[in-house]
Amino acid sequence: MEQGIFIFLGLTTVASAWFVAASQNLVRSVFMFFVTLFAVAGLYVFALADFVAVTQIVIYVGGVLVLMLFTFMLSSKETLEKLEESRHPVFTLKQFPALLVAAAFLIVLVNAIFKLKPDQLGWILQATNNTFRPQDNTVTNIGTNLMTTFLLPFEAISILLMMALIGAAHLARKERSFD
Amino acid sequence: MNHYLLNILVALALFTFVALFTTFGVYAERKVSAFIQDRLGPMETGKYGSLQVFADMLKMLQKELITPLAADKILFALAPIIIFVAVYLGFAALPWAPGLIPASINVGIFYILAVLSIETVGILMAGWGSNNKYALLGAMRSVAQIVSYEIPAGFAIISVIMISQSLDLQEISKQQGILSAENVKFLGFIPVKEVGGILAWNIFRAPHLIVAFVIYFIASLAESNRAPFDIPEAESELVAGFHTEYTGIRFALVFLAEYSMMFLVSMVGVILFLGAWNTPLPNIGAVKLADWTTGNIWGIGWIFLKSLLLIGLQMWVRWTLPRFRVDQLMDLCWKVLTPLAFLCMLISGIWRLWLM
Repeated sequence: MEQGIFIFLGLTTVASAWFVAASQNLVRSVFMFFVTLFAVAGLYVFALADFVAVTQIVIYVGGVLVLMLFTFMLSSKETLEKLEESRHPVFTLKQFPALLVAAAFLIVLVNAIFKLKPDQLGWILQATNNTFRPQDNTVTNIGTNLMTTFLLPFEAISILLMMALIGAAHLARKERSFD
Repeated sequence: MNHYLLNILVALALFTFVALFTTFGVYAERKVSAFIQDRLGPMETGKYGSLQVFADMLKMLQKELITPLAADKILFALAPIIIFVAVYLGFAALPWAPGLIPASINVGIFYILAVLSIETVGILMAGWGSNNKYALLGAMRSVAQIVSYEIPAGFAIISVIMISQSLDLQEISKQQGILSAENVKFLGFIPVKEVGGILAWNIFRAPHLIVAFVIYFIASLAESNRAPFDIPEAESELVAGFHTEYTGIRFALVFLAEYSMMFLVSMVGVILFLGAWNTPLPNIGAVKLADWTTGNIWGIGWIFLKSLLLIGLQMWVRWTLPRFRVDQLMDLCWKVLTPLAFLCMLISGIWRLWLM
């Protein structure tokens, strides 16, 4: 049963991601992206990372996806239609560099999968006596690590977000008229 | 296999509860509004109009499903389902009694916040799919409002979590009564673990949580799109907002979502601030009122009663206050509620470090 659900989630992820990339209708592909994100969150649950799964939904579905939809609805319909019409077939000279990069990346990935022997990796062998049960509380662990080992990156990210926030407020505020 | 059957049964039971509550809620809303406006409300169908909602439901089920010609048909049909399912998913993590919770998860409250944010996607889907400018404007307003008010609500919730040190709703509930594993202090000084009752509720364990509760309550009104925050469906400007084009059972689903959302946010408020399934009656000397009124059956009764009280308050507010203007709405959110919620969070941290 669990395996069935896992396979179902994996297939949903791949199929919906393919639809997102291939669809001619931009708005539909954004809504399909929602399905992809949800299925990926389900896969995180299978990895016993419930906190990451829920965070994925909060940030990507509640934040990023809504932001993308807002930009769609604020842009005019003509622009969207022009964007949709200007799709070319996949294999053209213009897209050759992109295809090259994608193919090279695929080769690297496939190579890595075949050369990697996951049973003999040091950190995986170490991790086998360090098992983790579904009932264990991951949140405490994440919180403690964020506040001790990873405090500097955490603070750096918060400063970055602060800068983004101030920048957004500056852009959005009304220009004072000098008269 | 029994395990899966049980899960399905629990889900069905929750759905039945949501549907029954909606019929009751619609009737109650009409009667409350009638009382506040000095009318009688529905009186014709059944005794005191008690069958009115069932008559409305029959009518709605028979109606034709109309899809506008210019609408995006798939998105239009899917949107009400997503809106309802988003709210319905939230019920999975809510505890009903000391030993009764559909799905006990470590990240309970965070999970509820996450699934509620899915509703915004459903609303945008409905607005865009309808291909109607009123629907689209309503959806934009609704989402802008929900996204803004999630921030003060979130910080009010965080100030509770900092006091209780857990995201697990069952754990948060346990701490507010005689079943608590750690010490409970009334106002941070007087130990009341043995006394329990209303004195051990979160809003009395740390009095600044009363402010947090008010912030949460206001934000929850906005998140369920109810007056005075009903600009998304302002009938004098936008016909009916994002559900303008919906008919029949799809419209019923949108309504079901609104009423289940009311119950969900009230229940979350009760769990976080008002003692969850704990009894309000304290132990007084030999009269062990709290011990007598704590248990699974009592728990369901208490949490249901407290949630109904909050829903009554929501209805009262809805029929008393006029609608906010958009700029007033955003001013309230960003200039009043958000700074206050930040302050509550700060006090929570200090409280936890020095007084608990």
